[in-house]
Order: sequence, then C-alpha cells, then structure tokens
Amino acid sequence: MKPLMLQGHERAITQIKYNREGDLLFSAAKDSKPNVWWSLNGERLGTFNGHGGVVWCLDVDWQTINLITGGGDSSCRLWDLETGKNIATIKSNSSVRTCNFSYSATQAAYTTDKAMGHPCEVFVIDTRTVDDSISSQTPTLKWEITDSKVTSMVWGILDETLITGHEAGDIIQWDLRTGKKVHSVKEHTHQVHDMQLSRDGTMFITASKDQTAKLFDTASLELLKEYKTERPVNSAALSPILDHVVLGGGQDAMEVTTTSTRQGKFDARFFHLVFEEEFGRIKGHFGPINSLAFHPDGKSYASGGEDGYVRVQSFDQSYFDYTFDYNRE
Amino acid sequence: MAKKKGDEKVNQTPQSDNEEQNFDEEPDFDDPEGFVDDIPDEELLADLLEQKPKESDSYENVVVVDGCPQVGPERLEKLQSVINKIFSKFGKIVNEYYPTSENGNTTGYIFLEYSNPQNAAEAVKATNNCKLDKQHTFLVNLFTDFKKYSDIPKEWEPPAPQPFKVQSDLQWYLMDPDAYDQFLVGIGTGVALQVWQNALPEPLLMQERPNWTETYAAWSPLGTYLATFHWRGVALWAGPKFSQFQKFFHPEARFISFSPCENYVVTFSPTGDRGEDKKLIIWDIRTGQEKRSFPPPDEYVTWPVFRWSKDDRYFARLGQDVLSVYETPSFGLLDKKSIKIPGIRDFSWSPTDNIVAYWVAEDKDVPARVTLLELPNRTEIRSKNLFSVADCKIHWQKSGDYLCVKVDRYSKVKKDKNDIKYSGMYYNFEIFHMREKEIPVDSVEIKEPIQAFAWEPVGSKFAIIHGDTANICISFYQVNTGQAPTLLKKFERQPFNHLFWSPSGQFIVLANLGLTGGALEFLDTNDFTIMNVSDHYQMSGIEWDPTGRFVVTGVSSLKSKIDTGYYIWSFQGKILRRVMKEGFAQFNWRPRPPTLLSEKQQKDIKKNLKKYYSQFETKDRMRSSKASKELVAKRTEQMKKHVEYREQKVLEWNEQKPRRLELRNYMDTDGLEIDGSTTVEEVVEFFVKEEITVIE
Repeated sequence: MKPLMLQGHERAITQIKYNREGDLLFSAAKDSKPNVWWSLNGERLGTFNGHGGVVWCLDVDWQTINLITGGGDSSCRLWDLETGKNIATIKSNSSVRTCNFSYSATQAAYTTDKAMGHPCEVFVIDTRTVDDSISSQTPTLKWEITDSKVTSMVWGILDETLITGHEAGDIIQWDLRTGKKVHSVKEHTHQVHDMQLSRDGTMFITASKDQTAKLFDTASLELLKEYKTERPVNSAALSPILDHVVLGGGQDAMEVTTTSTRQGKFDARFFHLVFEEEFGRIKGHFGPINSLAFHPDGKSYASGGEDGYVRVQSFDQSYFDYTFDYNRE
Repeated sequence: MAKKKGDEKVNQTPQSDNEEQNFDEEPDFDDPEGFVDDIPDEELLADLLEQKPKESDSYENVVVVDGCPQVGPERLEKLQSVINKIFSKFGKIVNEYYPTSENGNTTGYIFLEYSNPQNAAEAVKATNNCKLDKQHTFLVNLFTDFKKYSDIPKEWEPPAPQPFKVQSDLQWYLMDPDAYDQFLVGIGTGVALQVWQNALPEPLLMQERPNWTETYAAWSPLGTYLATFHWRGVALWAGPKFSQFQKFFHPEARFISFSPCENYVVTFSPTGDRGEDKKLIIWDIRTGQEKRSFPPPDEYVTWPVFRWSKDDRYFARLGQDVLSVYETPSFGLLDKKSIKIPGIRDFSWSPTDNIVAYWVAEDKDVPARVTLLELPNRTEIRSKNLFSVADCKIHWQKSGDYLCVKVDRYSKVKKDKNDIKYSGMYYNFEIFHMREKEIPVDSVEIKEPIQAFAWEPVGSKFAIIHGDTANICISFYQVNTGQAPTLLKKFERQPFNHLFWSPSGQFIVLANLGLTGGALEFLDTNDFTIMNVSDHYQMSGIEWDPTGRFVVTGVSSLKSKIDTGYYIWSFQGKILRRVMKEGFAQFNWRPRPPTLLSEKQQKDIKKNLKKYYSQFETKDRMRSSKASKELVAKRTEQMKKHVEYREQKVLEWNEQKPRRLELRNYMDTDGLEIDGSTTVEEVVEFFVKEEITVIE
C-alpha cells in the first residue's frame, strides 16, 4: 500500500511514538516543535510549542493525557495533550536525552547528557505533583552516571526497575527503590541508540551503532537474539502481533553524501524474531531512519528519518501471509 | 671442592622439612649420617655446566697456515709481525704457536687461534692459496679439517638413501568432484588471508590464517602455489593443508612474477640489503636454488621486468636500445649477446608461441615499426612500418591467434626543447593474423579517444570503449579471414570504463570502476542480449573465475572506507552472495591449468550438454533440498526453545496481573482491544481526499 508521508518537520526526526490505542502518532524532531498526527490519514492534529532547540525524546502516557518531551534547550517539559498546553518545564543543567513515563504514568524518568561540566544524571519524578506553578521539579530520586552517558531508556517490569542503554554499549538495570545497579551487561560495542519493550514488557530490543540489534529479557537482561546488518542501527521495534522485528538505520548523517540511495542502505529491514533471518525491506527514506514504531495493532508501522519525513506504512496482505518453513507440532 | 659444598646446601632444603628446626642456633648444614647425594650435577647446575669450557670448543677457532718461510730464531720476530699483520685482519688472534725443528728453525707451518669460528673461517677463505712472495704461498686450513680429512675411511661407502618424503598432492584442488573453484580473500595489509572453496549452496572456508603474509598474496599462474611476502623474503605454500613448500631468502621483497609453467619465480626487492646486484633474483621453484641475480632495473621499465616465453625456455628484458633474451636452464644470454634494436620501446611474448612482438619509435626520417621476431633463430617473420606514431600498445589475444597493436597517431606535432606535444590524435588498431600465411595485417581506424581495448580470450572478437566523456561508446568487432574486421554492434552513451571478458569467451561484463562508479552490465556477445544490468556501488575490481562460471565484484578497503566486501554473481548477472567484510583488500580466484581435453572432446561435451544437464539439475535439487531440510530442522529447534521461554514468561506475566491492574487504576489494558466500558464514544471526522472536478 502507498505509505502516508507526514510532512511537518523542518529538520531530522529524532523520535516517534504511538499512543496506546494507536490513533495518534507523536513525532519529535531537531526543529523544536513536536507534532501529533492522526495515524489513520496522516493529518496533523497539532504541535507542541515551547522548546528552544532540538527535541531529543518524547513519550506519551497510557491514557493519552500527558506528553513528556526533553530537548537540547536543557529542559524536560510536560504537556497537556488535549489543549497542547505546556504544564511544566523542568530545567536541567544539560540536554535531556531520554524521557519515559512509567507503566502507571504516575512517575516519569529522564536523563541528561554529560556536557558543559555537568555529569550525566538520571532523574525520576512524580508526575502527579507537577503543575504550572513550579518550574523546577524536585525529583523523587536522582543519581549520577559516572562512566559513559545514557543514550536510551525503558522502564522495567511493574515500575520497579529502570533500564538504561549507554554510549559505550552497556545496558544497566537499576533498582528504583535504592538507585543501585542490579544487572549490567555489555553485549554491544557501540552506542545503544534505542530500546523498545515488547507489548507485554517481558522482552526489549536494542538498536546499536555496532550494526546489530539485540533482544533481551527485561527481568534478567539475558541476551536472547541478535539481528545483524552492515549499517549502524538507529532504531528497532517488535511487532505486537507477529514474531517480527523491524530495524532502521543507516550511515551517520555526516557520511550520507558518500552513499548511493540506490543501495538500499536506508531501508527498514524486517527480521524474524526467532530465526534472526531477514525476510523483507521497505524503501522510502533518503536519509537514515532515526526512529521506528509499530502500530499497536501490528498492521502498520511508522518510521522517522534524518530526511525530516515520517512515513506511515500499512502492511499488505502478503506480509501477513508470509511464513517461514519449520515443523509446527 | 667448593662446588660440592654448594650442592649439599641445595640438598638441605627438602631434608629440613622432616627435622625439627631450631632457629636460635646456626642450622646444621652437615649431611645426616648415611646420606647419599643421589642428585647429579647435571640436574642442579645444567645452566652453569653449559658454560663450562669444553676441550673441543676452540678447535674450530684454529687455523693451520702452511707454506710459511722457514726461519731461524733470529728472524722469528719479523716473521711473526708479518703473519700478524696479515691474519689479524680477520679478527683478534688470541693464541699463536710456531713449532720449531731441532735446529731451532721454524717448520714452515704455524697455528693461529681466533676468538670465534667465524673469524677462522673467514681467514681460511681469504688467505688460502695467497702468495706471500715468489717462493711462498700460504696453504691455510681449519684445524678441524685435518681431522675430517684424516678420518676418511679407506673403503668408499655409498651414502645411505634418504627416506622418501611423500610430497602432498599439489594438484589436489583440481580433484574436486564438483569442480568447485577456490578463491583467496585478503583482509587488511597482511592482517589475515582466507582461502575459500566456492561450493554450493554456500562457500566453504578451507583455511584462514592471521598474519599469513605481511603485504599481499599471489597465486602462481597455474594455481599450484600461493606466494606470501615476509620481511625475510617470499614463501610458497601448497598442498591440501597449505603447508610451506619453499622459501626464498630475499629481504623486503615486494614484487613477484612466476614463469608461465611454474618452474621459476622472479623476486624483486627494491630496498633489501642483499647487495645492489641482488635486487632481482630468479629462483628455481622445485629446489629453492637461486638461479641468477641482477641489479635493479632502470626506472622506466615496468613490472614484470622479465617476461617469459610460454614454455619457460626463454625470458627477456628491455634495455636501452637492446632486447636481452636469456635461455633456461643455463640462465645465460641467448647466443651470448643481446639483440640490438635501436629505439625499442616495448615488447611482448606471444602467449602460445616463441614469438616476440616489439615496436620501435620514430626517429627523424625512420618510421616507427612493429616487428614479430621468432626465437631462438631470430628471424623477423613480419614487420610493419607506421607513420606519425606517438605511442603503441601491444595486445596479444590469449589463444595467440591474433595480435593487435593499438597505435596512437597524431596529425600535428610540436616540439619545445624536451617536451613533445601531439595534437589531432587518432587511433589505429593494427590486427595481425598470426595463423594465416604471411601474417596479413588489417587496420581499424577510430577518431575518438580510446578508453579500453580487450580481446575475446577464445574466439575472434574484440571490444573497444571509445568516445569523449559526454558520449562513451562500446563497439564490438569481428576479425575475419581475408577481409577487414567488421563492426558487430555499437552501444552509445554508456557509463562504462572497463571491459572484462569471460575466460571462455562469448560473455563480457561491462563495468564502471572507481569511487563514483558501480554500474554493471552482463552481455552475451553471440546475439548481444543484455542479460542483466546491476550495480555494486564504488566497486574497485572485477574477477572472473577461471572457468567463466562466476564473476566477483569487490570494493577494496584500500580504495573506499565504507561497504568494503565482495559480491559473487553468476555469469548471467544473477547475484548469488553478498559478503561485507571490514578491511577487505584482495580477492583472487585460484587459477587452473589449461584443460587436458582435446578440442574434439570439448566439442562432444558441448554437443551432449543436454544429457549432462539433467544430471546436474538433479544434483542441484538434492543439494538444495538437503540444505533446506537442515534449515528447517534448525528453525524448528530455535522455535521450540523460544516457545518454551515464552511459556515461562507468559506464566510470570499472568501472575503479575493483579499488580499491573493496581498500577493502572484497575483498568485492564493487557488486551489489544479497548475496554468498552471505560471508553467514551467520540465522532471524529477525517479529511480523506479532496478532488476538484471541472464540470463543463
């Protein structure tokens, strides 16, 4: 089917996410205004104006009430989704690289970059006490990351842990009662650019600059599967209905001019979750894919690229008909 | 004996474990009564005993100088100073002995001892048979030689035959029942080498060794040996295990060229320190012997310096106004002198006959000239004069049936001092029909610049890429008997800059190499159908396998930083495999010797191809079904494991359900569908499509 092209950003897309129902698609870009779209027809519903620079990350809570964003203007902002109003602006010392609502959405976490003499820090805030009156929110918990900075983050099972992916390739699980490390694994050799949970949250997939994506167990951080490519992987997502994985990435923006678009280096690539075999590619972007998301119904997916476009692609019947040969008992 | 005491102290330690120790007093180092020292000195002091002087040590340092003047005691001192002066040149003389007869005169022979055997050997080499004066000639020998020669047994004993060393089968790679070819992959500059077999359904890694070579590696022309480069020289590897077959000591050797029949190999070390006249060395491959060495070539000579005739009998090199032809196995000049050819610019051997083609540049009123010279009898079998020649290139067809000389000609020439400027260039292809009587010559003229020329290795076609950058054309010509070559086909506006004929002819790959290139076209020249058009971005090289079944395109890490690796294609241009490899630097198919089948046998095979076709088809089907069976088994196993893991996880997940509900205000969000009771119906209008229809 012909994909929907969402044109609304002036610069590279940094992160995209669906809400739980899948009717809305949120996108953040380097142009300071996150957008929200109807996922069905690609019509733009509105923008969230307020950030003063690059927006690195965003997340929407499970009830689609609030949006949290973080950006290069050293602020983490909460928004009211219905009105598009900025509820709270939490100032930090350096760029906010990742932000996520917890499962219950009563809490949220965000991390800052190690820059301008400030360390990389993880903050956990209580979202129920946030309102317009306070510009600076006191975190319920915060701790410093001494080694390589956090580049991606997901919440663990039942809001008890937080999992961070780091620039040097480490993945660390933190206990939120103490702020201490529980597990730490180093399965990647380069930056872990993205991490996304499976629908039930028991597994998550990482996307790394070391040209692989890997599947981990959320509770134990045990490595389950590995998906190899020849390109840095910027984002990876798990299908909510099938044993499928989609990977997106490409050469760094700096080296893009030296790559031919005909080569298919900016394709979204589909792998089988269990067999680790590639079975399909979708062309479209003319720059690396920075973020990918499956629609919660698993019948379409969206990708945001360095080229500034968000593409929403519904799957054809052939995608659902395709099967791998193996003996089913 | 001091040493003995030391031994006893050492022996004390193990003993003391059993005794009660009293640290206040001096420990008792005496042996207990009845102690027998059963540890030999060799065991305890092996390292010291090693250094102990041996009687035989200095034998090798001693030389015996015979033939000295016999002098009385009064002139002994003079003799000593003369001898010292001569023999201390080779090293310090630590000991000397002048035996005297009863009357006090010296006996005419003396003993000199050096501090090491090298000095002694050098002295013998340099002074033996040297004349001191008219009457006296030194006869110098090593002292040990006397023993050696005096011990010669009276009866001659035939030397014991050496045990026969089984030479591993050097041609093993040709014995593969499926005739799979092998190839070499080099990673980085000497980081690693891999040898693969291009098996079906996927290639098999036969051998991988890190640091196998320090720079690159090369196959010998028939594929028997693999040559690697090391700081000490060149090594050859062969046999099923790629064991070392031969090594040639030539420090910092950088270049290598084999003779066509693999009897000899030439190594060239531009910077090595084996001496100025040992820059180029020719070796015998079987024995490893150095056959002849040469000083470095003149700068303008391109590698290979020595070019071999097809049967290894002759090799030739280009010099200033001469062509030097050498013969094997004597390695001397043919007829003891070089062939004088004033103005010779380049030459090339026929691939199938002992014929050399060379060309001579224009000089004043003398035209340029291309000559075919038969060796060893030096008869000029054909020559052709050419006018207004700027440059020539000699291209032999691989089967030796034709020779093409590409002649760059000018219509105007301007000479400023040392600089010669040509203008109004046009190009001629002079085609020599080698197999016809009197060797007739045809000529094809093209007015445009020529980018590339290539003969069909088997057959009578040739291809040319010509034209200026805006309109590059590719033309195919057919050479005919008794008439001028005919143009078969011309493709205009092509992006290609290189031609790669299949080694068995008929098929050709047109390619655009380089950083901006990547275009590929697979062409069948029988009817000029384009079998496939594809690309391999930034590819830097193309290699046909020796049978003409596969083509490999590669991006070398020496040329490009990203996407280095190689693709394997079928000859029709079907992509078979993409291998991305960081640091990929080199790819070479292992060559094959020419087929042993006669032309008639080959024809028969071609005729009955249908018969064999079905056999191969069945084999392929079986192979692929076996592979898919293995794959299915592997997947089934993986799926089984995964399902087990998921079952466990789902169980845990279900147990956690109450706590999840607690976190989300007792709303069940586990399912995909949205709970009807908690959702509010909302009507949303979507703007789907806008169409403007003009109604007339």
